[in-house]
Amino acid sequence: MTSTSTVPPRATDEKRANKLLGGVALPVGILGLLIVGSLLSEQFLTTRNLTNVVINMSIVGIIVVGMTFVFIVRGLADLSVPAMVGIGALLALGLQPALGSVLAALVGVLAASLAGLINGLLIGYARLNPVITTLATGTIVLGVAQAAVGGVIVYGNDPELQAFLTGRLIGVPVIVLIFLAVALGGHLLLSRTTFGRWVYATGSNPEAARASAIPLQFTKGAAFWMTATLSGFSGVLLGLTLQTARPGVGAGYEFDAITAVVVGGVSLLGGFGSMPRALGGLLLVTLLSNIMVLNGIPTESQGLVMGSLIAAAVALDVYLRRRGGAS
Amino acid sequence: MKSLRKVFEVPAVLTLIHYRVVLILVATVLLSVSFVPGLTEFRTLSLSLDRAATLGLVAVGLTVVLLLGKLDLSVGSILALSGIAAIALQPQLGQFGAAAAGVLVGLLAGILNGFLVVVLQINSLVATLASMIFLRALCHFLTDSNPISGNDPLFGLAVSRALGGSFSLRTFIFLLAIILLFLWLTYTVSGRHTYAVGSNEDAATASGIRSGAYVFGAFVFSGLMSGIAGVMQSLATNTGSPVFGSTIALTAIAAVVIGGTRLEGGRGSALGTLGGVLVLAAITTTLEYESVASYYQNIVTGTILLILILLDRIASDSPRSALSLSSLLPTRAQKRSPAP
Repeated sequence: MTSTSTVPPRATDEKRANKLLGGVALPVGILGLLIVGSLLSEQFLTTRNLTNVVINMSIVGIIVVGMTFVFIVRGLADLSVPAMVGIGALLALGLQPALGSVLAALVGVLAASLAGLINGLLIGYARLNPVITTLATGTIVLGVAQAAVGGVIVYGNDPELQAFLTGRLIGVPVIVLIFLAVALGGHLLLSRTTFGRWVYATGSNPEAARASAIPLQFTKGAAFWMTATLSGFSGVLLGLTLQTARPGVGAGYEFDAITAVVVGGVSLLGGFGSMPRALGGLLLVTLLSNIMVLNGIPTESQGLVMGSLIAAAVALDVYLRRRGGAS
Repeated sequence: MKSLRKVFEVPAVLTLIHYRVVLILVATVLLSVSFVPGLTEFRTLSLSLDRAATLGLVAVGLTVVLLLGKLDLSVGSILALSGIAAIALQPQLGQFGAAAAGVLVGLLAGILNGFLVVVLQINSLVATLASMIFLRALCHFLTDSNPISGNDPLFGLAVSRALGGSFSLRTFIFLLAIILLFLWLTYTVSGRHTYAVGSNEDAATASGIRSGAYVFGAFVFSGLMSGIAGVMQSLATNTGSPVFGSTIALTAIAAVVIGGTRLEGGRGSALGTLGGVLVLAAITTTLEYESVASYYQNIVTGTILLILILLDRIASDSPRSALSLSSLLPTRAQKRSPAP
């Protein structure tokens, strides 16, 4: 297991061709959207609009980084994301008067991280089903967060921090810089470190991974811990930029993140995928949504396209895998 | 830890864990009765059951899907869409015709899910996520995101009104569905095949069971049940809303799992689901009566769920239960490993 490549050496030419098609589809899709978008709306290819696209990507993007690990490690999905986003946002704002902004934000991330630790222990070490476990912990965590702030909408009172986060540093929005840093860190962790190789090994063949003395339980648990922590962090950022948080603030983020990862071609069956792919999927989904908004399609109805896109992306992935696979 | 393991090897403890649904149901009902005066009165009981019937019907459909080791996240969207059809088509088809059309919408949505999972071979979690998003958007698209009302508010009252001083129509339909599901799973060949497919799809296929057909059928059944639930919910409230059922999928999955059905498939029962639904109904009634905030209810439900799945894991890890047939079969993780 010294190679970081996920392609087994027995790859045939046909497999390589399929991989090429799978790898090309995403950039072509993004390029196509850029062309279609600029044809449909004059405002699309402006710096202001594209900056907005990237800012919109950033909050979900931080969660996508974690979810990618969950997918590759064959952890199915983390459904506790909305709760972690919620507890991050609620605590970061709710504790501001008592602890000050920075400390409150830190507590928000730590609380999500602690809940993620429970997720990790239950899924990694106790081998519980990830879907039902994250569903249960998510329900509990959100309940606790609401109880902690009294179940109401919380308002922040730190316009300076808000201005800093929504402002720019060397010409780039600060929130985008934070996202890029997290994404780069996640990419390096996945592609350049021993832990990253453990993640691929655990996801592609658990039996072989166990035989190679890879700490399966730790790897799987860590993926869920990371996702919860990043979701909490994302929630804190969301709360601080809006300076207001309601308990349901994170609703839908789990599905947004899953959509991005799936559209990026990261397989739910584990062992395959990369950070650039997942983030490419996110970019594609965000661009598509932006084009629809610019052309007057309401957000609620965009699911008609998004739902079809998810099904098509996964069906293509399954088809390519089956054709290229040994079966 | 050793001594803890020992405790779980005692046959009596294992039996208790096996019948944990009954245990937890008795406990919650006792708690409810002690907190809510008059809960044992028939009228109160009938009302509580009526409120749980929608969740119950969805849970009945999900029981079969979960038994097969699959997941259906789209039930809430199907519920909303069927309800909208049952209200919006009233001028064209009449009240009964529209209700039938609503149920048909549920059936068609189930066929869509079956197509995605069985024909296109998409993992059920992602497939039903896609149809959940798609159908929910369709609801918003058709109604412009506004709730719609039917033409005769009195028509739907029959659904939720107690029939002749007993239960309401939808309670009867829910109980009937549970009984039929129980009889089917327990006494028919295809019912037993369902367990076989859920335990190990490949092995079932190898023994001549058409696994794909069972999975397809399960999604159609789940869609149908959500459709019926949605139609009755919309008739009872005389409203079709694009936001109906947005959280019911997770609650229904919780009810089914509390009832002892495992997400890995191959184990579960109709009566367990009845127990799970009743547990959640009892908790809701009690906490609402005590006017406890709904988020405390979430904490209680989540904790019960977590304890139950943890107990289930410990019980199935103990050597004694290792002798059971289901544990001899390969786990899902091994089965899913890529082809060599």
